[in-house]
Amino acid sequence: MQTLTYQFRADRTPPRRVHIGVVASGDLEILLDLPAEGTSHADVRVRTSVDGFDTVWHDVLSRFFARTPLSGRWELNDFGATPGVVTLRLQQAAEAATGADSEEKP
Amino acid sequence: MTTATDWQHILTRRSFLEYDALTRAGALLDPGSTRVLCGPFDRLESPWLEPQGIVPQSDDGVVIARGTVDGHAVVVASVEQGFQGGGTGEVSGAKISQALRLAAADCRAGTPTAALLLMETGGVRLQEANLGLNAVAELCSAIMELRPLAPVVGLIAGELGCFGGDSISAGLCTHLIITPQGRIGLNGPAVIEQEAGVAEFDSSDRALIWAIDGGEQRHAIGLADTLVPDDADALRAAVREALAGGVRAAGQHRSERIDLIASRLAALDPANPPSPHELRALWSHDHAPVDVDRRRRPPPTGTASRGRTWLTALAGIEPTPVIASVLRADTDDAVYLAVVPDPDNPFHRARAGEVGLTESLALAQTIRQTIAEDASTARRRAIVAVVDLPSQAYGRVEELAGLHQTIAAAVDAYASARTAGHPIVAVVVGQALSGGFLAHGLQAQQILALNDPGVEIHAMHKDAAARITLRTVAELDKLGTTVLPISYDVRDWAQLGFCDGLLAVQDADAPTAADKAAVGLAVTAAISSARRGPRDLSNRLETDAAVKARAASRNVRDVLAEQWSS
Repeated sequence: MQTLTYQFRADRTPPRRVHIGVVASGDLEILLDLPAEGTSHADVRVRTSVDGFDTVWHDVLSRFFARTPLSGRWELNDFGATPGVVTLRLQQAAEAATGADSEEKP
Repeated sequence: MTTATDWQHILTRRSFLEYDALTRAGALLDPGSTRVLCGPFDRLESPWLEPQGIVPQSDDGVVIARGTVDGHAVVVASVEQGFQGGGTGEVSGAKISQALRLAAADCRAGTPTAALLLMETGGVRLQEANLGLNAVAELCSAIMELRPLAPVVGLIAGELGCFGGDSISAGLCTHLIITPQGRIGLNGPAVIEQEAGVAEFDSSDRALIWAIDGGEQRHAIGLADTLVPDDADALRAAVREALAGGVRAAGQHRSERIDLIASRLAALDPANPPSPHELRALWSHDHAPVDVDRRRRPPPTGTASRGRTWLTALAGIEPTPVIASVLRADTDDAVYLAVVPDPDNPFHRARAGEVGLTESLALAQTIRQTIAEDASTARRRAIVAVVDLPSQAYGRVEELAGLHQTIAAAVDAYASARTAGHPIVAVVVGQALSGGFLAHGLQAQQILALNDPGVEIHAMHKDAAARITLRTVAELDKLGTTVLPISYDVRDWAQLGFCDGLLAVQDADAPTAADKAAVGLAVTAAISSARRGPRDLSNRLETDAAVKARAASRNVRDVLAEQWSS
């Protein structure tokens, strides 16, 4: 297991916090918690069961935050998700946090 | 059962197999009524996984949600089968037990609150071994506490099934709902194959697995109440019906039907076991009377074991067999019980002192008989479980006959005796492993253990635990030095908060007069403490050791209580 932390520039504030996914084989859970007032970055902590993919994580996350600059505290608990699954879950979290019709998952 | 035969229905049905834990809970509750307690943002993770290099989940894999069904208050505990095989850990187990206990408190305060348990789990999470095992014992006790006040409905509708200690919990439920895809059994097929070889159980034979553990079979032999197709609407309808059925009368729970279990086991010949299909006929209501004499055996030879030795030493008299593998010794104010090896046991997987079908039944019968005998007396006799058992019996016949249910009967009997005012004390003098310890020992108010290298308390024996958690035995030993609940050293176990005495002895195999006297005194003191103390297991969270080692359980208890009515 490896814990990685990243920070990305992010100027959009999510209207609500969200929880997505499960720490199941090939999957991950994401918690997006609201940022402190005036924060213009996303703090990301990744805990992953697979060691040694620091660069891949950085690339996947930086591509996501370049398109979706949602600030806040992002926690990713990963159980061997592929980069594709990670991206899908990130997009799902962003949609749930910003989508007009989605409700906050407690 | 309404079978989903029409293809349009199959195409439009909402499969529970594909839902996560939260969606399952929401699908059963009245729309819009779901309120999650101790959710992901409360971050009640397991404290034991990260130190072992395992990624935790923010809610430890259990969703607790309050809501309503047909307007009536219900609490749902939904296990996430994807996280650590749905395994019960300290936090996930504590969440379910505390939710049930809060529901029971509401019932007593005049607000009936039923419970739904969605049990998709492989049982105790081996990475939290002893704390997981204890969590299951506390869960069993909590189900027993709520069950007379409001229905506790179990639901098994995942692809994982309900195995291990949690199958015992399911066996205590008021009502059990299962899908054809669902399974219930004590020992999973892979574990039996690992323990007993492929000839005992071929875990690659899916037809065999479902023929024995599958929902249709379990329903057909009466180990589940309702069989429903894997469809959210059908499951919700079954849940509504089960809740509307209310509580069962005392004596009518499946785990209380010892008469039924006894007659069924008597009809089962372990030397010539029926096929799963034949079992349905054998156990139907009209099966022929059983010729019990057929299997009457010469008196047991009395194999030496620590269990027998200490039973004799503590009671001060020669024990008498309830059956060859279960001994009792009675004093004026206590009944001592032990499970011992029986090399001639007709159930060949229960010859080394394991708790099998007939052992758990004999325990349940003896305890029930004791409760009945003392019903009109003010001072109820203590029941002392002398524990020296290598595990539950891992076997195919055992699963065929539903060992989880007979063990549930033993757990039920112990917990019932406890709530009826019998002080329950366990003395671990040898091994106390897994489901065996759940059946015989873990429902005690007071647990004592000898401080001896031969004493081993755990969720699974070391070789198997290492294999299943993908470690070497050396790695497991090393981790045990820092992660208390997985240690095999009884001195570490004693620090987890539910040890009421670690007793030094000179010779645990052949106790000296001083050993016998010291342990005897400790048992007497434990009986008095149990008599004075609470009749539930709440004291396991109040010891000095628990304050330290079970901080996470205590936190769950407090946070859940705080969020319960807010």
